[in-house]
Amino acid sequence: MRPSAVALVLRLLLALLLLAAALAAQGQPRLDFRAALSAAGDSVVFPADAAARTVALPDEWARSRPGSGGPVWYRIEFEAPDAWIRGDLLGLYVERACSAIEVQLNGERVHLGGRLAPPPSRLCHRPQLVALPAALLRAGTNTVDVKVVGYPLAALASRQRAGGLSALQLGRYAELQAQYTRRHALQVMLPQIASTALLLTGAFMLLLGGVRREHVHLAYYGLFAIGWGLVGARLWWAELPVSGHAADLLLVAFMPLVVAATVLFVLRYAGIAGARWVDLALVAQCLIVPLTLLLAGPQRLFTVASGWYALFVIQIAIAIGLHLRVLWVHQRRRVAPMAALMLAGLLLLLAELAAQRYAAPAGWVVLPQLLIAAAIVAMGLYLLREHRQVLQRVEADRHSLEARVREATAQIERNFEQLAELRVEQVTQQERKRIAADLHDDLGAKLLTIVHTSHDDRIAALAREALDEMRLSVRGLTGKPVRLTDALADWRAEAVSRLAQTGIEAEWHDTVRDDTPTLSARVYVQTTRILREAINNILKHSGATRCVLRVSLEGGDFGLSIQDNGRGIPLELDGRLDRGHGMTSMKHRAKQMHGQCLVESGPGLGTVIRLTLPLESPPRSA
Amino acid sequence: MKSILLLEDLPQIRAWLEDLLHEVFPQAQIAQAARVHEAQSLVSALAFELALIDLGLPDGSGVDVIAALREQQPEALSVVVSIHDDDEHLFPALQAGAYGYILKEQSREQIKVQLERIAQGEPPLSPSIARKVIAHFAAQARPQVPAIPHVQLTDRENEVLLRVAKGYTLPEIGQQLGLSRHTIADYVKQIYRKLNVSSRAEAALEAQRLGLFGRR
Repeated sequence: MRPSAVALVLRLLLALLLLAAALAAQGQPRLDFRAALSAAGDSVVFPADAAARTVALPDEWARSRPGSGGPVWYRIEFEAPDAWIRGDLLGLYVERACSAIEVQLNGERVHLGGRLAPPPSRLCHRPQLVALPAALLRAGTNTVDVKVVGYPLAALASRQRAGGLSALQLGRYAELQAQYTRRHALQVMLPQIASTALLLTGAFMLLLGGVRREHVHLAYYGLFAIGWGLVGARLWWAELPVSGHAADLLLVAFMPLVVAATVLFVLRYAGIAGARWVDLALVAQCLIVPLTLLLAGPQRLFTVASGWYALFVIQIAIAIGLHLRVLWVHQRRRVAPMAALMLAGLLLLLAELAAQRYAAPAGWVVLPQLLIAAAIVAMGLYLLREHRQVLQRVEADRHSLEARVREATAQIERNFEQLAELRVEQVTQQERKRIAADLHDDLGAKLLTIVHTSHDDRIAALAREALDEMRLSVRGLTGKPVRLTDALADWRAEAVSRLAQTGIEAEWHDTVRDDTPTLSARVYVQTTRILREAINNILKHSGATRCVLRVSLEGGDFGLSIQDNGRGIPLELDGRLDRGHGMTSMKHRAKQMHGQCLVESGPGLGTVIRLTLPLESPPRSA
Repeated sequence: MKSILLLEDLPQIRAWLEDLLHEVFPQAQIAQAARVHEAQSLVSALAFELALIDLGLPDGSGVDVIAALREQQPEALSVVVSIHDDDEHLFPALQAGAYGYILKEQSREQIKVQLERIAQGEPPLSPSIARKVIAHFAAQARPQVPAIPHVQLTDRENEVLLRVAKGYTLPEIGQQLGLSRHTIADYVKQIYRKLNVSSRAEAALEAQRLGLFGRR
């Protein structure tokens, strides 16, 4: 076993060695070029005659050759073993070339990255991958020349777009392609997606906010989002028919609009109407900024733009401060999330500005831009959520309003019915009054004439009774119930004053304190007549000097007694008892009221008349 | 009483009342009228000390004649003579300036006594009328109605009214308050006068409110 084991180990080692050799032979070309031979000149090939010098890569023209816009040639050389030439396709990866390049391999053009003729394309954010055809490779030393055309920093607004060339990588095309794809996705595709998202969100919110005045902050948000979406488009919008300077000038001139939208959104969102001069100042800024840029000229765009950018950030920061202060006062609950979102946005903005002003590490350049877009979209979603809540509230309000309208309608209908009933009641009342007036004017007048013109006392008395009856009938039509206490006051006044007029001493004993019982008009009038008749008797026939009247209220029965100390009524004959004394009519009246009227009398004993009436459910019979 | 106006549409009743007036005031000149417009022209032409006025007349209400007398001859005493014994008819007459009211159906003797007392300056005041007067002034004192300060009742007048409303006679009230019969009668006259003044002021205010005045 041992020899075979050794043999196995040996054979394994051999296999590994062979594999390694094969791999070595295959070759893993991977070269990073951190330096290149560089020469300026607008020639078709690398200008051999010009003074070439070795520069470090990445080479930023703003440092190495300030004010220059190219073209600048770079040359790198590498040894290609045979394996490379026969192996996989080779590629040259240019992470950043600003803004357009041409690549030559061994003097043959293999790649054109953008338009080199003025105005050159703006491909600063676009990584480039160049295939190096095997057919052009030579065994031994190969030369790669890269011609770069760009813009000097001073003419631009951002260092990100200033002319220059990054480090170059040479390797298998397939491997570099993965790297290229990642970078392309980050720097071109994501910004495209972000811009599109912002433009769509913005347009949507603009439409939503434009509908109603109280949602104006949504409209400003829409403008704000669209503005940032357009600003972000610069990352992937490479082919412009104008020079890089003009494009950046337009971009910076556009910024005040975006800033105005941002500031107004932040203010309106907090419900700050803002002074008129603020609006005017924002508008004025939109005019002043391009003016200053034009006056500054192509050589000072970067400086002036940087100044303006700082000013813009300050304006936005102030708006955010005001917004948060209002929230702190009125809606403290919302301060924390809003402060986090807005301050994060502000920090990202600062980072973005820093990246534009100073050289940012490659790969980090677009991050703030992407995050700002994300923050703006997040803000949009938050606003939508709020808007939905508002809509729900409005819907709820509408429902409650409808309920109230229904209620009010029902109420109006009820009222209308009541009014109709009242109207019927009124008409009935008027009709009753008319009948009553007719009776008085016609029948009443005739009876009255009989009362005063008849020479027969009996007829006069009958007419007076008829008058009473008529009046009672009319009262039955129109009379209102009388409170017992009011009735007692009336009776007391009449009885006492009439007795006193003829010198009869009158006493009134009244124990009724209850204010609630009422008498129907009929009972009131009938009782008044009985009392009046009784007093008449005393005045006419009794010769009394003293009269005591007592009122009682016991168990729902009303009692009235009238006692005098006169002669009394002579009890001659049953039928004659009543002669001229009206006793019959008094008893008759009491009976009509379901009560009774008792007379106690005897010669020389005076007279007591006791009237008792049930108060409940007074009869209405005739 | 030297000159008396008698307004009554029923000839027999008018004759009966005239007879009665001659009996009570033998010296008096009696001018008769059967219609409101006749009475109005008499009021414009002649001066009266006393006027007996029926309310329900073929061409209108006697209340208008009472108001005209109040306007043109404030010294004349207007007395209602009516078949109606309910306050709904009597109270407006009192508001218009009547100083008393007599129910026609009463016996000749009763009416005579009442006429004499009115002529002597003792206008009648029944409990139910007193209650109505109290209610009238209470309504005027409500803040939403602009009250007229000089037509408020005095405390004494209120006291008298309250006692009348409870059924006490004027002599009884005089005893209770320690005042003479004449003083009490003066209070009653005062109450009637203020009722008339405040009712007219109220009517003017009401007219103003309805825009009858001061609108072009």
